[in-house]
Amino acid sequence: MEFTQIKFERSGGFANIRITAELNPRDLSGEQAIALKELLDELDFPKLPTKLTSGETIPDEFIYTITVEAEKWQHTIIADGAPKDAKIQELLELLNRLARKKMRNS
Amino acid sequence: MRPCFHPVECVIPEHMLESIATHGTSAQRQAALNNIRVVYQLRAERAMRASFKGLFDSAIPRAINNEKERVIYDAMRRDVLPGTVARREGDAPSSDPAVNEAYDGGGTTYDLFTKEFGRNSIDNRAMRLDASVHYRTGYDNAFWDGAQMVYGDGDEDLPADERLFNRFTIAIDIIGHELTHGVTQFEAKLVYSQQSGALNEHMSDVFGSLVKQYQLQQSASEADWIIGAGLLTGNVNGVGVRSMKTPGAAYDDPVLGKDPQPAHMRAYVNTVSDNGGVHINSGIPNHAFYLTALEMGGYAWKKAGQIWYTALRDKLSENSSFQQCADLTHQTAGELFGAGSLEQQAVQHGWAAVGLTVSESGGKPKPSGCLEATLRFIGAA
Repeated sequence: MEFTQIKFERSGGFANIRITAELNPRDLSGEQAIALKELLDELDFPKLPTKLTSGETIPDEFIYTITVEAEKWQHTIIADGAPKDAKIQELLELLNRLARKKMRNS
Repeated sequence: MRPCFHPVECVIPEHMLESIATHGTSAQRQAALNNIRVVYQLRAERAMRASFKGLFDSAIPRAINNEKERVIYDAMRRDVLPGTVARREGDAPSSDPAVNEAYDGGGTTYDLFTKEFGRNSIDNRAMRLDASVHYRTGYDNAFWDGAQMVYGDGDEDLPADERLFNRFTIAIDIIGHELTHGVTQFEAKLVYSQQSGALNEHMSDVFGSLVKQYQLQQSASEADWIIGAGLLTGNVNGVGVRSMKTPGAAYDDPVLGKDPQPAHMRAYVNTVSDNGGVHINSGIPNHAFYLTALEMGGYAWKKAGQIWYTALRDKLSENSSFQQCADLTHQTAGELFGAGSLEQQAVQHGWAAVGLTVSESGGKPKPSGCLEATLRFIGAA
């Protein structure tokens, strides 16, 4: 699934260190971009519900807000740190790694 | 039925969602239907939990003979809880510092609540203290999942010169903080959003700090009132993640940014991030507690802690606001130490210094839940 930009925010957590990043395909290695596109495809990202949480609010868990922008659409989801879907978890972990790296290198 | 409190759920009231689902554009209809579906899923889950409350309660592991019982697990860097048993109550120390820190910190927290406040573990019914260490890889967090404590190892997956966090068992107040989330879950049940959520965080910081002071036998004036001292690595310009003495001054770092906590109501932060700023605005009641404890003098858990614990146990409820917390802790101080006592005056002074004037009425209910969120959304509150 092609995208033009992904906006990522992680808030909450015991330390409440907010992590934000705007990720463009050109900022990513070929391998990272392919992994992201495949995950978005497998999740059918534009059709995901806007709220993906485990049901009960867990104190000190992370809250993730992800907006994927493409040429003709844009979609935002909000997820907590304990999503039931393994693919969502994989997406959160990948974006978190990329965002942490970008935050430290900026 | 429990009203809806989550800022995201509440910004658009249900009747508006239904209207959008009927009259909106194709994309708007789809988004509204998705939201409605999630709301119904949440309701079904809550209804199921309420129906089977007895079963959930009976599933809680409890200590034998009503005594302190800890079980520390090693999650082996996976996300499956609880993991493998690493140390049980009475076992010799492990070679793993995280296991020992979780064990000792859980024990000191238990002792403070039992010996000073007369509480029988987290649920006041001898709940066993379960904790898992080494949760996931590069997990820079700790949390209470409703049944146990969970601790990550910080960002141990990064090169040493890039690490920002050490392991989350390293500071005993973090352990006290997480266990107190459990106490709140069984007592006031403060909803984890907006002001009630910030009070939930506040209570965890208060008793987290008191656990540390209790362990070190420090008076209010001797304590550092830092939350998470030792958690940040030497690569970070900061002394911890929050300061109850000086909210907003715990860290100021090129990578982490600046500590965003306010110390006064005039700087209250309206945000949808972090469940409505629960870790941000907790700086306001945190500072009120610090000032109260300092004015009372001596060990903070003896008077200020006793007042806050009693309010958490008997007075606060799931939608309590900062104003209600101020009023109810003031009322509690009068009941415990006498109307007009120096202790009650200290509580009044503490809240006044952060911009909250206590009311003798004990706190009347304010608009809460969806109504409060909607009023805030349209700028009417």
